Amino acid sequence: MTFKVLIENTDEVFGCSEGQHILSAMAKMGKKGIPSGCHGGGCGVCKVKINQGAFSSKKMSRAHVSADEEKAGYALACRIFPETDITLHVIGKLQKRF
Amino acid sequence: MGVLRISHVNIRVLDMEASLHHYINVVGMKKVHEDKQGNVYLKCWDEWDKYSLILTEADKAGINHIGYKVESDEDLDRFKKRISDYGIHVDDIERGALDSVGRALRFNIPSGHEMYLYAEKDYVGTDVGTVNPEPWPDGLVGAGVHWLDHALLMSEFDLENGVNKVEENTKFMVDVLDFYLVEQILVGPEGNQQLATWLSVSNTPHDIAFVGGPINGLHHIAFFMDSWDDVLKAADVMGKNKVKIDVTPQRHGVTRGYTIYFFDPSGNRCETFGGLGYLAQRDRPVTTWTEDQIGSGIFYHTGELNEAFTTVYT
Ligand code: FES
Ligand SMILES: [Fe+2]
Repeated sequence: MTFKVLIENTDEVFGCSEGQHILSAMAKMGKKGIPSGCHGGGCGVCKVKINQGAFSSKKMSRAHVSADEEKAGYALACRIFPETDITLHVIGKLQKRF
Repeated sequence: MGVLRISHVNIRVLDMEASLHHYINVVGMKKVHEDKQGNVYLKCWDEWDKYSLILTEADKAGINHIGYKVESDEDLDRFKKRISDYGIHVDDIERGALDSVGRALRFNIPSGHEMYLYAEKDYVGTDVGTVNPEPWPDGLVGAGVHWLDHALLMSEFDLENGVNKVEENTKFMVDVLDFYLVEQILVGPEGNQQLATWLSVSNTPHDIAFVGGPINGLHHIAFFMDSWDDVLKAADVMGKNKVKIDVTPQRHGVTRGYTIYFFDPSGNRCETFGGLGYLAQRDRPVTTWTEDQIGSGIFYHTGELNEAFTTVYT
């Protein structure tokens, strides 16, 4: 089963198969809409807000997504496994300091 | 006399089972102990002290503390005085408070990272022993790294607001703990601000490093390997295990090391650091990299800093 993921900020669409996290699906397609970092839920750069769709998730660092935020649909794209088509908004960014 | 080497790091992980798979089957360490709180202790085959990594399950990734071994108990007395004379609070911790470790000093370096010094940790021996040893043991798993080599700590850096914890940490490590500066990256309008420093207390190009970033954290922990071939094989192991690689095998300009940056399952960055680089000496002149050549300093072949290098860390 493959689900469609839409990134609102960039209008990018890509497929994500069952059991694959959104960030890995995006990176494998060579797309860049969501900042890609550690792929382990630790660094926070891939933070998104899920506006539509159902998903399951793995543990994400509380330094980047609080319990309240998680309830409101905020998540780390590398910890999210779609169960339906997904529409999301990118929150995280790679901030270059030098 | 003084500090001998990095002895262990205690890092936080989100998922213990996935982390054990990573550090045992990919990195090639062995589990040696688990304490009552569920912390897991691991060591590399070529290390003789009981452990070099403590994994603590938590709700965020990153580093809890870093430990350095000193030569003798008198060193602890001496460092205790020097640290407190420097204006930093230091706790004198009883034997056993850190698992399998003797009396220890606990304090925070200027950036706030917690550090321990101690003279004793339980001896268990390397996997090849000390009498007529083989060059390497049978049954090595994954990358089969030799030992924990160094750590790089991200330290707050905000020149506009006059904050440079890289410089403060460096001064503390040199003035108080007798480390010496080996390499540095200088930036800023005058080209005199330490954005990054590599310090040694032995003869390896770095026993600790600091890089400036928006907030404190852990940039990476690194494990030693002999050669470029070992580094290539380690990358194959990572490919097989679907490990997220940050930078594929590459040479660092700084320290000349052969490197792979990769992430553990909680997003903590690890490195396999191959080769000695060069023999660091206290009287070796300090190497400086300028702001316009940072890319080559970090990734010598491409000469380009990848965006994730200073942004992605735990
Ligand atoms: S990429 Fe680091 S938390 Fe997702
Ligand atoms: Fe390193």
